[in-house]
Amino acid sequence: MNRRDVIKNVALMLGGAFSAPTLMAMNHWENATQAHVNGTAFSLSSSQRTIVAEIAELILPKTDTPGAKDVGVPAFIEMMMKDCYAQAEQQSFMEGLVLIEQTKFLDLNESERKGVLKYLEQETKAEMVARQMKQTKMGDNDDHEDIKKAPKGLPFWRLIKELTLLGYFTSEEGIKASFEYVQIPGKLENIKLQPNQKAYAY
Amino acid sequence: MYLNIKATKNNTFDAIVVGSGMTGGFAAKELTEKGLTVLMIERGREIKHPEDYDTAMKQPWEIEHRGKITAHSAEEHWANKRFGNLVNEEAGSFFTDDKANPYIEKRPFDWIRAYHTGGKSMHWGRQSYRFNKQDFEANAKEGIGIDWPIRYEDLAPWYTYVEKFVGVSGQKEGLDVLPDGDFLPAMPLFAPELHFKQKMLEKFNRPVTVGRVANLSQPQAWHTKLGRASCQYRNKCVRGCPYGAYYSSLSGAIPAANLTKRLTMLHDSIVAEIIYDEQRQKATGVRVINQQTKQVEEYFAKIIFLNAGAMNTAALLLNSKSNRFQQGLGNDSDQVGRNIMDHHLGVGATASIEGFLDDYVYGQRPNALYIPRFRNWGNDKQAYLRGFGYQGGASREGWNRGVNADGFGGDFKQNLTKPGQWTIGFGGFGEVLPNPANRMYLDPNRTDQWGIPMIVFDAAFGENEIAMRKDMMNAAMEMMDAAGFKNITGYNRPEVHLGLGIHEMGTARMGRDPKTSVLNAFNQVHDCKNVFVTDGAAMTSSSCVNPSITYMALTARAADYAVKALKKREL
Repeated sequence: MNRRDVIKNVALMLGGAFSAPTLMAMNHWENATQAHVNGTAFSLSSSQRTIVAEIAELILPKTDTPGAKDVGVPAFIEMMMKDCYAQAEQQSFMEGLVLIEQTKFLDLNESERKGVLKYLEQETKAEMVARQMKQTKMGDNDDHEDIKKAPKGLPFWRLIKELTLLGYFTSEEGIKASFEYVQIPGKLENIKLQPNQKAYAY
Repeated sequence: MYLNIKATKNNTFDAIVVGSGMTGGFAAKELTEKGLTVLMIERGREIKHPEDYDTAMKQPWEIEHRGKITAHSAEEHWANKRFGNLVNEEAGSFFTDDKANPYIEKRPFDWIRAYHTGGKSMHWGRQSYRFNKQDFEANAKEGIGIDWPIRYEDLAPWYTYVEKFVGVSGQKEGLDVLPDGDFLPAMPLFAPELHFKQKMLEKFNRPVTVGRVANLSQPQAWHTKLGRASCQYRNKCVRGCPYGAYYSSLSGAIPAANLTKRLTMLHDSIVAEIIYDEQRQKATGVRVINQQTKQVEEYFAKIIFLNAGAMNTAALLLNSKSNRFQQGLGNDSDQVGRNIMDHHLGVGATASIEGFLDDYVYGQRPNALYIPRFRNWGNDKQAYLRGFGYQGGASREGWNRGVNADGFGGDFKQNLTKPGQWTIGFGGFGEVLPNPANRMYLDPNRTDQWGIPMIVFDAAFGENEIAMRKDMMNAAMEMMDAAGFKNITGYNRPEVHLGLGIHEMGTARMGRDPKTSVLNAFNQVHDCKNVFVTDGAAMTSSSCVNPSITYMALTARAADYAVKALKKREL
């Protein structure tokens, strides 16, 4: 399935929510993201930044414990994409993000937004399975050529989900609200898990 | 040549040790403790224990990129990056900048280096296993490479000696394939691992034990004397241990050598060549280039220990040319730089485990379970030679299980605060056969920024390794299946090259015959007996067990011999 099909499917799912200008813009975004990634450093527009924050908060919302936005996950995601990812991932991240923009994500209500993310999740799952198979096939050291080919970046959903979880569960507020944080265990023991016991974090 | 007599006197020691890592540290300790003045020369920067372990006590949120590598760091560490997330902000300062220290790959070679005090002992895996009797005999029996000039019995007392000093936590098992040593109390196996151990014994008669690891589970008097304390089970060894709980040259051997007040250390100093005296037919010293100022200085000693790491030790021999040794010091046999071995890895299996949901663990084990070699052992016979061991373990999934799982939202978040299901994974470490065509040499034209010829690698796995790898993956899957584990996934990473095991060895092998080997049974260069090579370069075969404890045992044995020979005026 190509990117445009994905957008069309999202549109169908949302009951044809795309306007004519949006559909026209779809003809251009691919070129636009291409130019962006090859040219300047990774950066987000303010609406893209808002979308990233909203998605992060949908992944880990504020409940009786802080949400993604409370602990600074949105800025963390942008920094990580900028500092730690190669061009392939920066590109796939931007492509996914532009695609979400095309759905007029910020105009959707919460349940529609969740619908978009669920759709993305299913799409991503299929892609991740295909990648996994490629990585675990019997390597005879003869598929080096295959590996050298420019790798396609991890899909947007996989990236934003991982970075949201990483940013949240390694933040001071996130760790302390979620886990039993032990900086210096001092011993190593097999124990029995108590009912409702939180995981240890170290 | 003009010689400044005073400078020569100041630059003269009983012994010079090139390198401060796993074996350099041990050589310096042994030689100083036996009364020699020693100059230890380290090419990289100085690290002090423990004050230079900048990240050791940082909390997770204090590490900016949370364990990931920045693109900038990945570019500087292009070879290191092949291993994985080594050069992140937790441990990155203990790895060498590959961009500033490039090498040439005629065929791909994953060369992971550590140019600083302590070398790779700063971040080794700490797994410490003795070679077994067959490991020393297999070459001769099978007609592979050349025979070791020593046997297990020659090294056994030195293994004990080193294990005691280093401090190895482990379980005695009474196995021929994995000889017992002098151990501190073993770390526990976890509930599903105990189940696995039982099943492997029942179904395959294969033993499983907990890793033998150089972390102090119970420090002894000689450890605390050096300021080393008990393991705190943080499993953050890669950052450098502020407790000195895991053994490194920096936490163990160098402090011991310093106690003698006979150790002098030189940093940022690259040994470019060994000075050979044609009249006296021995080495007299080394020529050193300061890596910052590029100033050249000479140092002199009665004996020289080469412990620069197998590849750099061989490069140093090759670069030490004289009338007597036109192809490099000790290279009459043309074996210097050849027979590169390593342990091939990146192959194994993972699975999920049902049940054991009320079993959990407090603390983080800086160790693994170990499955000793079972191939081509006893009645087992394979189409390939030698074998492999597995290392790995079981653990309960953490929050990161959410990354690939379906779902998001409040319940998803809540669920990730609980321990997930148990999973298990183990990967093989396979023996690599010596092959003279697997080699490194000095480029005749290109030099590094210090004017030293660059190293070229021309080596790859052979048919035996490739055949073994298939079995390593399949056997791992079969064992997991027999234990009743689910979702079994095998892997055999195709991008793994020689070097990635960071057990590179064999480039100046020991042997009985000067025509086919570089070193004799006491690690002396055959025709230049006051030069000793006791790092991985000395290895005649690789076994499949982690090699550091063997290197250290060879070092202690050679140092003992060297000092006795000096006293008898034989050197």
